[in-house]
Amino acid sequence: MATALTAIRYGRPSPLHALLIVLATAALASGCSSSGASPSVTETTAPTNPPPGTITLYTSVTQATVDAVVAAYQTSHPNITVDVFRAPTAELAGRIAAEMREGGIKGDILWLTDPLSIQAYAADGLLKVWQPAEAAGIDAAFRGDTFWGTRFLNMVMIQGSSVTPGPVGWRDLINADYKDAVGIPDPGFAGSALGALGYFDQTDGFGMDFYTDLKANGATQVKTPDEVTTGVAEGRFKVGMTLDNSARTAIAKGSPIKLVWPSDGAIAMYSPIGVVDATANAPAAESFVELVLSEPGQQAIASTGWQPIRAAAGGPSAAGIQVYPDWQAAFGQRENLLTEYRAIFGG
Amino acid sequence: MARSAAIRQGAAIAAAAVVIVVIGWPFVRLGGVAFEDGLATALATLTSPLVASAIWNSLWTGVLVAVLAVCAGTGAALVTERLAVPARRWLRLGMLLPLLIPPFVGAFGWARAYGPRGLLDQLVGSDLSGLYGPLGVVLVLTVAATPVVWLIVAGALASRVEPDVERAARVSGAGPLTTLLTVTLPLLRPALGSSAVVAFVFAVNAFGVPSVLGTPAGFATITTRLYQDLALSAEPSAFVRVTTMAVTLVVLAVVVVGPTDALLSRRGATRTAFAAGGGSNGSGGTAIAMAMGAAIVVTTVLPFAAIVLTALTRATGLAPVPANWTSANFGEAVDSRFVGGLVHSLILACAAASIVSLLAALLAALRGRAKVLGSAVTLGFAIPGSALAIAVLLAYGAWLGDTLAIILVAYVAKFWALGHRQLAGSIDRLPPDQVRAARASGAGPADALWSIVVPFLRPSIVAGWLVVFVFAIHELTMSSLLYGPTSATLAVVVLNVQQLGDPTVTAALAVLLTGVVVLAAAPLAVLGAGRRAPAR
Repeated sequence: MATALTAIRYGRPSPLHALLIVLATAALASGCSSSGASPSVTETTAPTNPPPGTITLYTSVTQATVDAVVAAYQTSHPNITVDVFRAPTAELAGRIAAEMREGGIKGDILWLTDPLSIQAYAADGLLKVWQPAEAAGIDAAFRGDTFWGTRFLNMVMIQGSSVTPGPVGWRDLINADYKDAVGIPDPGFAGSALGALGYFDQTDGFGMDFYTDLKANGATQVKTPDEVTTGVAEGRFKVGMTLDNSARTAIAKGSPIKLVWPSDGAIAMYSPIGVVDATANAPAAESFVELVLSEPGQQAIASTGWQPIRAAAGGPSAAGIQVYPDWQAAFGQRENLLTEYRAIFGG
Repeated sequence: MARSAAIRQGAAIAAAAVVIVVIGWPFVRLGGVAFEDGLATALATLTSPLVASAIWNSLWTGVLVAVLAVCAGTGAALVTERLAVPARRWLRLGMLLPLLIPPFVGAFGWARAYGPRGLLDQLVGSDLSGLYGPLGVVLVLTVAATPVVWLIVAGALASRVEPDVERAARVSGAGPLTTLLTVTLPLLRPALGSSAVVAFVFAVNAFGVPSVLGTPAGFATITTRLYQDLALSAEPSAFVRVTTMAVTLVVLAVVVVGPTDALLSRRGATRTAFAAGGGSNGSGGTAIAMAMGAAIVVTTVLPFAAIVLTALTRATGLAPVPANWTSANFGEAVDSRFVGGLVHSLILACAAASIVSLLAALLAALRGRAKVLGSAVTLGFAIPGSALAIAVLLAYGAWLGDTLAIILVAYVAKFWALGHRQLAGSIDRLPPDQVRAARASGAGPADALWSIVVPFLRPSIVAGWLVVFVFAIHELTMSSLLYGPTSATLAVVVLNVQQLGDPTVTAALAVLLTGVVVLAAAPLAVLGAGRRAPAR
């Protein structure tokens, strides 16, 4: 029933429609690039009360977080139904790629895990150019004109509770104390690991040599940060590279591990959200993005264990320095980075 | 004669139409994407060192798994169906156990049982070196593929191999080994070929096992490489690479399946009578049964026990002792969406299993005339779920997007081969004389089908239905790509709660899925096992 409606609602746009969208996008884009986040753009968007309807959210964010945010949205927008399609990054990307060849993305909003995964869509002009009013509360480094940061994922270190001495900075992972006992996530599987690879490659004192040294120290790659956390908890590894949320969840349950905030900085990635340009219900989609970036949305994110992009919302916070990859540079380098990495670690 | 020829023709057209709808058209769409940048680009993808090594790894592990699984499954079938072993029914159920564990959890269970810091390591301080790497990948895939081989071969032993012929050989002075080599195995040839094809294709399209056990050793297969590119498929070139690798798997299957099927199309002796009871021969049955039981415990029961212990333990890294036990992991896996997902999964699994059984019977009714269709059906099984789901989405997403129907199309395309191979191992020994006798005595085609053909094939049909049902209940990858707001399946619902991250919750999910399958399928399995074992 709802599905039949979906199919009708998202039929292939007519050529005229597409042309109008292109023109409108071009006009908005030129306006933005000349004056940055111009106030005039802000004023023309995001009416506070979109008409009743249904919007579809495509996301790779964890279910608990999505549930909390949708619940917060529905208290202020009770007459809008939010259909959620949640899948791991790879399945979601595959579905979107297939849909784009069949008339266009069927989702109205994309809420993804890391900036690399959304950049290609932005570069292809698939995301709507606009400025949420709430974006003003976000650090300029985490907002653009098509997508905005919602929360942080911090790549940190963990150690087994009984491991002494514990690591302090990233370079300790190549210390002989942890010979054959270091776990790292595979950048081919985990976007966060790819972000870390990009950061190390770009940073003086690390570079690809850091991964060569890790391999020489007997480091083992596993698929995901969660597998690193498990490996350290079980004692298969002494130390490892994982996400702060993964470590905190395991610690809260009682796993014998410690989170180590690297002295030279956790590698922080932001989880981006944007509106699909071809959406049939832009006012509702935009109101959802506004909510996610607003105080109630940020509090909902914080309540599910993630560091919100706006520190004022509370929840987990950075326990030390945060460093950021240059996402633009990493995006263009992706294939090369992975090829160089594979030459070292295989897989 | 003219009328039955017309019926045959109609059946052939119907079967061909379904093959085109569920497999042909989606594959055409997929192939279109794979070659849209030109043949040169596709070839460049396949010959790049990373992809070429992955293809080679998939190929040799697939062949090795097929050989090992056919040996293990055939040996087990001869023991359970031909030897006078005690506790035959228990051994049969034991052979089916690996089917109950979702493939993406099998590797996980082995790692928990025999890996570093696994159960064995904690109890006696040693672990299976090489588990992470090609050895572990081959070993665990063989364990997972063996029950399917066993089902096909046991089904063929029950419906195809004439015990009277074996007895005649023995009475004429042939030893057990000579009888096995000159009578039983030649008669089993179609079943052996069929099961080897299934095992090879199963191993080549497996993703969970190589990703868990291969990645840490830097060992990649086509499926793990494909998944890595799928994550990057926001870029059109990466998406094209995904489809190119998927098409490669289809080509691999064509290269292996086609000749095998052609080789098997030679007809053998005609069966003359219904099952006359198993030939119980030889002594030492107890020792053999105990050895087989031990093998089942080591390969299946202990890994599953490790999963149950993990599911019961509060957090990873804690000792799996009662002080650390909790049921909280199950609570996290079960929420309000659970029941809806369960209903969807049961509907889909029953529908897929029934449709596949019907289609398999349809192809079976065509006998030798449908070899090409039979081979084509295998292609759906040869390609990884993620790629098949994309193909189905490309073909039918615009009409059926977000419905249970599109998931069902994908399930039928994927699992048809399992039902078909099950029958293909037995069908060409169908006694035509009895069908003719029934028809000559006035039975219509439907009566003849119902009273002669169906009883003859029942063990294989029941087994095929069950295998498809179990695979469909476990199915995760295709549903997580195809589901919509009103069609989430059980595995999708439960997995969404925790993104396969926390192993304690993942283990709880595995236990729950296994529990659902046991509750739904155990009565049927017992029924099937009983039917296959006439009074001895």
